[in-house]
This record gives sequence, structure tokens and C-alpha cells, in this order.
Amino acid sequence: MKPFRSLKMAAMAAAVGLAGMTAAAAETTKLTMYYPVAVGGPLTKIVDGLVADFEAENPDIDVEAIYAGNYNDARIKALAALQSGEPAQLSVMFSIDIYDLIEQDAIVAFDDIVETDEERAWLASFYPALMENGQTLGKTWGIPFQRSTIVMYYNKDMFRAAGLDPDNPPATWDELLTASKALTDADKGQYGLMIPSTGYPYWMFGALTMQNGQVLMNGDGNETYFDKPAVVEALTFWHALGAEHKVMPEGTIEWGTLRQNFLEGKTAMMWHSTGNLTAVKKNASFDFGVAMLPAREQRGTPTGGGNFYIFKQTSEEERRAAMKLIRFMTSPERAAQWSIETGYIGISQASYDTQALKDYVVEFPPAKVARDQLEFATAELSTYQTGRVRKLLDDAIQAALTGQKTPEEALGEAQSQADRLLKPYRQGG
Amino acid sequence: MTDGTMTAASARSRVRWPTIRLDWIAAWLLGVLWILPLAYAFWAAFHPSEFVTRFEPFAPLTLDNFREAWTYAPFARYFLNTFLLVTGLLAAQFVLCTLAGFAFARFTFAGHQVAFALVLMQLMITPEVLIVENYATMAGLGLVDSIPAIALPYAASAFGIFLLRQTFKTVPRELEDAARIEGCSWLGVLWRVYVPLARPVYLAYGLVSVSHHWNNFLWPLVITNSVETRPLTVGLAIFAAPESGVNWAVLSAGTLMSVAPLLVAFLLFQRQFVQSFMQAGIK
Repeated sequence: MKPFRSLKMAAMAAAVGLAGMTAAAAETTKLTMYYPVAVGGPLTKIVDGLVADFEAENPDIDVEAIYAGNYNDARIKALAALQSGEPAQLSVMFSIDIYDLIEQDAIVAFDDIVETDEERAWLASFYPALMENGQTLGKTWGIPFQRSTIVMYYNKDMFRAAGLDPDNPPATWDELLTASKALTDADKGQYGLMIPSTGYPYWMFGALTMQNGQVLMNGDGNETYFDKPAVVEALTFWHALGAEHKVMPEGTIEWGTLRQNFLEGKTAMMWHSTGNLTAVKKNASFDFGVAMLPAREQRGTPTGGGNFYIFKQTSEEERRAAMKLIRFMTSPERAAQWSIETGYIGISQASYDTQALKDYVVEFPPAKVARDQLEFATAELSTYQTGRVRKLLDDAIQAALTGQKTPEEALGEAQSQADRLLKPYRQGG
Repeated sequence: MTDGTMTAASARSRVRWPTIRLDWIAAWLLGVLWILPLAYAFWAAFHPSEFVTRFEPFAPLTLDNFREAWTYAPFARYFLNTFLLVTGLLAAQFVLCTLAGFAFARFTFAGHQVAFALVLMQLMITPEVLIVENYATMAGLGLVDSIPAIALPYAASAFGIFLLRQTFKTVPRELEDAARIEGCSWLGVLWRVYVPLARPVYLAYGLVSVSHHWNNFLWPLVITNSVETRPLTVGLAIFAAPESGVNWAVLSAGTLMSVAPLLVAFLLFQRQFVQSFMQAGIK
């Protein structure tokens, strides 16, 4: 009998142990907000600080801000919570998730929440380029929050050494190529230019195609233009930088280690997210500059980053509270503070008109480049079935860069597969 | 030993000498390959970030990376949560898998083959597919944002059941019969005969389970919301910074902090681990 008893006790102990670990489960808070973290630094603390300020101003609203991993994790978490009946009321998520969220009937348009003229004015107060990824079907679904663009970082010391004007970074593709050739020194293992092609190849590519005068998709998210001549030409140029001109390493270039390569002088120029600005500033041992991306037909970059969304499963009261919170977080002063502390761009003209950001831009001029470039910015690749469509383009780019396929072939295949995916979303298709 | 056998032995060893050397080289190569990422993490963590991809033997050492990493997230609490999670879960797995494995190994009941097939099927489903379903179940139980919610979907481990069933099947019936004659109940037989004989398997399974759940990320992230319940990996993910690229020095420091307890435990119990794996026949 004894062994039986001790076994049973072990089982009981295990059960009690598990039950004892139950933490105080979800208190009845008014608002739950998920947010992802996509750039380095103690961002969770900054968000906690903003939320604490908001709660101090609005004692009747209780906000629980929950860190939810990267953009992908955040979407999974939000949708899982939604379908289980314990949803959040609002969330910061990838701006390009918009079509998936609409298709799942998960979010509500801000046009249906705003009530007063003042709120409508607020809705129109952001940089138009930042709204592109948040608007479709004639409505606004996402409010810009942690947004970035691509800029060109360049090493001024190397420019001087190569006899180039450090205050005159290349402004066209031709100048870019000439400068890159002058800056490349194969003996020292030093390249003129690196454009990353892992992680977010479609994003970098969106810049090249925009510069060549062609966007990658339509505003309804059901049509892509991967096989347009200007797009093929852009990929041919990218491939030639490494394969033909040898000013960039051949094959693919790692997204995650590119900053390190730039900081160590392995490349004189890099294209990267503005999200890197703070880190480069902190760690560069040389004189560096930040420039807008060069132009062929025009300058161009896609925007990137995360937007605020409000979920459909919310009461009238919760929507009002969520609006208050989002308006607080996007108010000029908070947006300025957020921009200075994280390196993301200020999302409205008004935020750049605040004293804090004015001073910061004077003290650190590169911070202004991203904003000025917004004039030439376009939406980041975003369609229905966005994950799969993006993967098609990513694979095509990498296949072309590694020389497995020609740009025409790779992009043609990607386009026909994207057509198949998007057909059901076209009117009468 | 006579002189004759000595020379014969040494002659033989001289003949075999090159092949043994090849084995060593292969073993060393594999060992070095295996340890390189860890060695790199140590290098990056203890040096200022400008030495992250530059090797200079006398680069200055620093603990700043650890200091910085520690401030990113409440790691002390996360350590506690992870510890509670893996120990509680392991206890639950041992109990459930032992009982289920014993039932499948020694009893014939209606539908036992179907039931076992269902358990095996569980092995082929990746848990990530079930995140939404599991979340709904936990919400139904009112357990969202709790450590048991992280553990429950893994408690009835198919791998554990399968492993223990196979082990129990190899135990000779005679031992069981002897225990029965001595008056042991079924559970007594299990406790007195089967469990002690399967000790190496328990150790091996425990190692696999602990290391797996120490490292598990997505499910704990999805099902938990607060500092009080989240495990180490969630804290570690803050360093990932997909958009700006990674600060390798701080990331390495955070990684070393997170794996340190497992690493120390492995070094301490290395001999037991290796032996148990040999006996259990799992690699």
C-alpha cells in the first residue's frame, strides 16, 4: 500500500505545485494593448513610461501595455487572443498586416470611430506617405506610430580618402556607381556599397523600383507589378552592382550584420533603416553622414514599421478610450519624444515643429533626412495574402542576386504566382 | 606480462596508430564546430562591441554588456518563472507519461491500439499549429497569463509516453510476476519494478524536456502577458531587434545569462547525462 500512497502523493504534489503557480490572472483592466519591438534599445521601458504618463492624465482609463515579440509574433498573439474571446482592444502591428486584418474582420476603421471635426482634423494631420499603408477601401485603418524609411549611411572619412566630397553624397544611380567604384578597394576587402538582401529584401527593392518610377502594387492590395520593365531593370541594376561592377559583395548581404560591417569600414555606404540611426551614432568611430537614397527617375523609398489598430471586438466605451490613448501617443510632443528616444521618424509636421525636435534636428542633422525624404516615399509592399506574396518577391530577388535565375525569369515567375494568389480578391476575378 | 606480449601489444598499437589519430581528429573537429558558437558568444559578451567581429587576443575585457543586458528586462523574475515552469512541467510529465506508458505497455484494453495510434499522431503535429486552439482552451479554463497555461499543452507528452512504453516493454515479465507473488498491487509493481529500471530513461527524457521548455518561445509569449508569468526567452527576444540589426555584444551577454544555469548543470552532471543517454539509447 505504501508505494501506492507515495505515488499518489507525488501526483498530488505535482498538481498542487502547478495550481500554486497560477499568477493573479487578468485583472479587469479597461484597455489591453499589444506592441512589438523591432529596433534595439530598452524600448519596453519607453513605452511603459508613455503609458504611465497617459494614465496619470486619464485616471479613469487603465492601460495594460504588453510586449508581444516581433511583428510576426504580435500578429499571432493578437489573432489568437481575438478568437478565444479574450481580445485586446488595440495593438501596434506591422503596417503591412492591414489586408490580413481586414480579411479576418479583426479591425475597425478610424473613420467609423471619429466623431468630432477636431478628431477628423487629427486623422488628417499625419504625413501622407505614412498613411498610405494604413488606408484602403476608402478608409483609414492604421495610425502611424513606429515608422521608418530607408536612408543611406556613408563614411565621410572614406569619402575624403577616395577624393570625394563628403558633403555631396551621390544623388543619382550614376553618381552612386561612380562613387562606389572609387570607394571600392578589393585589396583591403573594402566595398563601396552594401544593400542588404536578407531579412527584408522586398523592402530594399521597393526603394530601387520607386527610384526607377514604378511602385510594386496597387492601392487595393490585389495587384502586383513584379514583371514591369522598370522593376526588372531595378533588379538588374542591383544584381550588376555585385556581379558586374564588383562594388558590392556578390550574392546576398546579411541584414543583421550589415551595421557592424559599416561600423568596421568594410563598406563605405550602406542602405538601412532609419531605426539604426541611434546605434550608428553611438558606435561609429569615424565621421559619418546620412543621405537620402539616390534617384534614377526620381528619389524614392518605401516607408516601414508599425501602426496602431483598434479591434472590432470592442465596446463603444473602449473605442473612445483607445482613441484617447492613440491620440496621446501620436500627439506632437509625445511623437517628438518617441522619435528622439528611438530613432523612428516623427509622424506629423506638428511633431517636427515642437521645440524638442527642432533642437534635436539642429544638434543632429541626420535626423532630418528621413523626414525630408518622406516627400518621395511610397507604401511598403502590402497586399492580401501579404506574407506569401512577400515571400515570392523575396525569393525572386535572392534567386537573381545569387545568379540562379535572370531578373526577368525570377520576377516573371513571382508575378504569375502572385496573380494566382490575388485573383480571388479582384472584382469578378 | 612478459616481454614478448609487451612488444606484440606495442607493435599492434603502432599499426593501429594512424586510424586512432583520424578518429581523434574527427572528434576534435566536431567538438570545435559544436563549441564555436558558444565560444563566440563568450568572446562577444565579454568584449566591447567594436571587437565583436575582430579577434585580438588582448582586447580589453568588460562586463558592461551584461550590465546593459540585465537592465533590458526583469531577468531575475524571468529566471524564477522559467524555473517554476520547467520543474512543474517535468513533474507533471513524469506522472502522466509513466501511467500512460505503463498502461500501453502492459494492459490490453478495448481500443488500446487506436489510443496509442492517437498518441503517436500527436508526435507529428507541430505545437505551433495549435496555438489558436490551445489559447481558446486556456481562455475557457480561465488560465490565460499563468504558468500552468504554458505547461498544460505539453504535460501529456507523446514523446514521453512513447519512450516509457518502449522501455517498460523491455522489462522482463518474470520481475513483474515475482513482485505480484510478493503481493504488490499494479501501481506497486510500477513503482517498485518498472520505474527504478527506467531511471536512465527518466533522466534522459528530463534533460530533453527541460532544455526544450527552457528554450520555448512562441507559445509562452502568446499565452502570457505579465512579468510575473513570462519566461526567460521572452526577455531574451527584446534583444533581437529585427528592424535595426542586432547588437551582438549585448545579445551574446543576454544569451549567456539565459543559458548559464543549463550550462553549469550540464558541466556538473556531464558524466551522468552521457551515461544515461548511452543506456537509454537516445542520442
